[in-house]
Parts: sequence; structure tokens; C-alpha cells
Amino acid sequence: MRYYKFNVRDGYYIGETRQFSIYEKGMIRRDEPLERLQIIPKINDKNHFNFQYGPATGGLIESLDFKIITNGEAIKGIVVNPYVKSRTMRCLNKTIDECLLLVERINGYHSASHSIAFLSAVEDALNIDIAEGTYYGRIVILELERIRSHLLVLKRMCEPAGFGVPMYQLSYINEIITRIISDISGHRYFYSTNKLNRVDVDFGLLSSYIQTLIKIKREFENIFNGLLESKIFINRLQGNGLIKDDPLIGPAARAAGFKRDARSNISILPYKELNFEPIIFNEGDSFGRFYIRGLEISQSFDLCINALERAEQSEYNYSNNFSGEGAARLESPSGDLFYYVNIDNGLIKDIQMSSPSYLNLKSFIKSAINTIFTDFHFNFESFGIWVSEVGVEFI
Amino acid sequence: MSNQWFIKGVKKGILTEGFPQLPPEKPPLRPSLLIGSSNFKCPVGALDENKWNPEKCIFCDKCSMEMHFTGDQKLFKINRKMNAFKRSLYIYIIDSGTCGACNAELFNIFSPQYDANRYGIFLTNTPRNADVLVLMGVETEGMKSVLEETYESMPEPKCVVKMGTCAIGGAGIGSKISSLEPDALIYGCPPSPYTILEALIELKGDKP
Ligand code: SF4
Ligand code: SF4
Repeated sequence: MRYYKFNVRDGYYIGETRQFSIYEKGMIRRDEPLERLQIIPKINDKNHFNFQYGPATGGLIESLDFKIITNGEAIKGIVVNPYVKSRTMRCLNKTIDECLLLVERINGYHSASHSIAFLSAVEDALNIDIAEGTYYGRIVILELERIRSHLLVLKRMCEPAGFGVPMYQLSYINEIITRIISDISGHRYFYSTNKLNRVDVDFGLLSSYIQTLIKIKREFENIFNGLLESKIFINRLQGNGLIKDDPLIGPAARAAGFKRDARSNISILPYKELNFEPIIFNEGDSFGRFYIRGLEISQSFDLCINALERAEQSEYNYSNNFSGEGAARLESPSGDLFYYVNIDNGLIKDIQMSSPSYLNLKSFIKSAINTIFTDFHFNFESFGIWVSEVGVEFI
Repeated sequence: MSNQWFIKGVKKGILTEGFPQLPPEKPPLRPSLLIGSSNFKCPVGALDENKWNPEKCIFCDKCSMEMHFTGDQKLFKINRKMNAFKRSLYIYIIDSGTCGACNAELFNIFSPQYDANRYGIFLTNTPRNADVLVLMGVETEGMKSVLEETYESMPEPKCVVKMGTCAIGGAGIGSKISSLEPDALIYGCPPSPYTILEALIELKGDKP
């Protein structure tokens, strides 16, 4: 394993796989089961009552089961069951290609992140060097995915405020990005785009879209600046869902002032060559998370266009019967995403994944205590949580 | 302030496209209608005795040496038209076990390019107001009873749509949703907004 060491607790905390606690550079075996995602009020107040929110509710994109403890005004406790829609993925004793079809369907909205993190772990096990064109090609599609994902979060934050015009304008841009993804890869969510040492994307065609990308970047910045000038909107976000301490990763960590970004602290993708520096802010509330995502959208447009110059499709014919162990991590739009694989004769013997949504859910419930329910949706959406990637079991 | 957004919105003009009266402006290649015949060993068994089965296909492109994606977005089957909903159709969504992409595509039919509202298609936050229950994702233990209870709480007349390969055929991930007979099937992994919009318009007995 080139990037990870066993029994090392080095750097910040990334999350949990089935058996390991993951840190920036190491993984430690965990013997206890994962702790429950809940905060229960310490004092048993007779004025507290519970209400059920979810698992099926029009207010959330995915099914998620909340039990909210409140005194009628503020949220005093939350119990979350993120496993209500848990899926099992039959990956063990499957080939890399077979497993990849499942991995890219763990979180469809972040499918490029999942497939590239998984393939990077496999490539680590294979101990192969990746072609430069593939590295940059991966950056191109990861940044397109990040733009779309952040746009969705911002759009979802406009909705509870009743800000219909910016919400629809952001949806419009989101759809343009999705269509560009579809044109260059054949699929709107990058399914079947990533291979070992290869990105199946028409980079020449994407080059012809550069002017469009520059134009929609400008359009986005106009909408974003308009929202920043809107006091009614900003008031709903400032001070809502404040969290400034662990466990924080991804945009939530950067909003709270932590310089945590796998793009700058790992070597599996050459972000440093593109002079990448994480954007940091000092407000750990919903506004901070909104603001960071807005700035990162502009940054991702630039990274995507710069990386495109060196992106290429390459070919690598690997043998089917290799064995080895590998691990890799990358910065998905919601934070650090980690994969570990153990391969025997070309078949998956073990696969473990740590998703950013698990830690983001943990941070969300911590941040929601003492907020009022009308602020719940702004706060929840600001974390960019995808339930689909939390409850996955590999068998 | 809201005035300022109103003006910004008006300045943009109409962004909605001519679909479905006009052909789709940007149809994805995958998913789309697949033609040809092949004895390729499909990873999810969607090529049975050389015949393509859209219920199982995950549009992975692995058979592309012999099969051909046409770009045609008519990937749905209506079992029962619901003329009672000609004027308006309120949708309640249940995610039984999705990857999130089906959910995103269903929301996308309300983006300005597609604007499902102009056909009287709306989302509702409560099954008590819903005309159609849209089911997505594979069958999961945690959501099994929720589907049935939700359906029971909907007023008559009502109908069921199963959307996406997971719900219809399992997608090689798990089991398809076994309960509730569907009035319409919308194929794709995920189905594109074009497919979803046209299927819902036909389901409500409306003319595109
Ligand atoms: S596209 Fe993939 S899933 Fe569909 S028939 Fe071909 S090989 Fe099977
Ligand atoms: S059908 Fe495909 S896109 Fe839809 S939930 Fe299943 S895996 Fe995701």
C-alpha cells in the first residue's frame, strides 16, 4: 500500500469503514460496532416530546428516518437511522469490472468520486503507475461533478427560503452541466466512464465547450452574488447550525476554518501541479457552508479548464489474475471518501469504504441541537449528505 | 428584494424547451432504446436469448460491440392510463433503496428546461394529496412497510409508477420492488428527465 499504513493514527479523522477507523494517512482496526447517530438530552424534561420525521418525506431527496426531541420550540435531541434504505452490494469474489458496476451506483450523484476512489485503491494494489493524461482526466470529471453537486446544495438551500427565481436559475445551470457530462461521456452521471488507468470521455469535445463553461461560471457568479446581497436569505443561514469542532470534513470543515481537503493533502491526483489551494472561511454555520460551496464552484470551473489541457484517454491492459492490497482517498464534493481493497487472483476478497456522509450526518445532528425546526432544512442541506452512501454493506 | 429577483427572472425570458412537441434537444445516449441482437453475456442478464430486456438493463455499454444505443428516449410502458388526472397530477415519491440518481432525475423534470408544471404535474409532500406514488430503488427491509402504508393512505383514484431499473428489475444490486402493481414502468438507470416527463404526461391521459 503506497498511500496508507495499518495501525497508524496520523492526521485528521476521516471516518469509519466496516472494520477500520480512518485517518489522513493511516487506518486503525476498530473492534466495537459503530456508535449510534444520536444526541439525547441529558435532562429528562417533562416538556420534551418526540416527533417522527421521515423516512418518506417530500422535504428530503432520499429516505432518512429522524426522531426529533423538542420542547416545542427548539430541537433538544435527534436520533437518526440512516440505514432505513440500506443496500447490500454483492462485490466479494467478483472481478474488478463487475464490482465497478456496483461501486458507481453507491452514490449516483457522486459516481465519479466513488469509481475513481475505488479504482485508485485497485491501482494501488496493482502497484501500477497511472498515465499523466488519466490523472488530469480524472481531475476534469471530479471537478465537473463537484460543480454540479455544489449547485444542487445551493439550489436546495434556496427552496425552504421560498427563493424561487435563484432556485430555478441554479437548476437551469445544473442541467447545462449535466448535459455537458452526458455529451462527453454518454451518461448523465458518469456511469461506465471510469476504468483502470482510463477515463472514457471525449476531452476534445469538452474543449469545444470551454466558452460555455466560462459563460455559465459568470452566470453562476451573478446568481451567487445576488444571494449574498439578499439580507432575508442570509439571515436564515447565519448562526444556524453552528459547528466549529470535530468531526468535520469536506466543505463543512473548510467553512469552519480547517484546511482539510484531500486535493491538497494526498498524492493520488496532481492537484498541486494546478496550484490548488483549499478555500477556507471562518464561519462554521449554514452560511459558511453555503459560502464555501459558492466559492468552490468558481474554483472548480478553473481547475476543470486548466486540467483539460493535459487530459487524455489512455489504455492499460492489466492481467486478470493479480493479487494485492490497496487503499486510496479523494475529495468527493461532500468530503473525504476512502476505499480499501484486497484482491486475490483478480477477485475482490475484501472491500471497505468510508463515506463522507457518515461524518457529515454526525456533524449535522451536533449542529442542529438548540436550533428551531424551521431552520432544520437549511442546515441539513448545507452539509450535502447522501444517505445512499452511508448504508451500504458489501457481501 | 424579491422584486429584484422577479426582474432578474423576467430578464432571462422563457428557458423551457419545446419537448415533448419537439424532439429532445439533448437526449443522452445512455439510457436510450437499445437495438440489435447479441449473445453477449450481459452482467445483469438483460440479454436473454439474444433479446434485450429494458426491465433489467443498466445501460452499462458493455454490449456496444453488437448492440446499438439509438438515443430514443421512449423508454416506458403505460399499463393503465389515468384520465382522471388529465388536469393535474400530484406525485409523492418513495425512495426504497436508490443510489440517489433516480431521485435527482425526477426532481430535474421541474427545472426550467423541462418545466413539468406546465402539464399540471406537481410534487406533493403528503400522500394524502397524492394521485400517483412513484417508487424508486431496490426493495429494502426498512422501507417495505412504508411503501404499503403510504399507498393505503392515498385517496382514490390513485396509481403507482415504478421508476428505474432498481425498482423494476433489481439492477444487479438487489430485488425489484415486489409489492404494489404498477400502472406505469419508466426504464433507465436512471431514466432521463425526457423519459420521465413523457411517461407522466401519457399516464395522465394528456397529449404531449
Ligand atoms: S447495456 Fe449493459 S446491461 Fe444493457 S444489455 Fe448491454 S450489457 Fe446488458
Ligand atoms: S436504477 Fe440506477 S440510477 Fe436508479 S437508483 Fe437504481 S442504480 Fe441508481
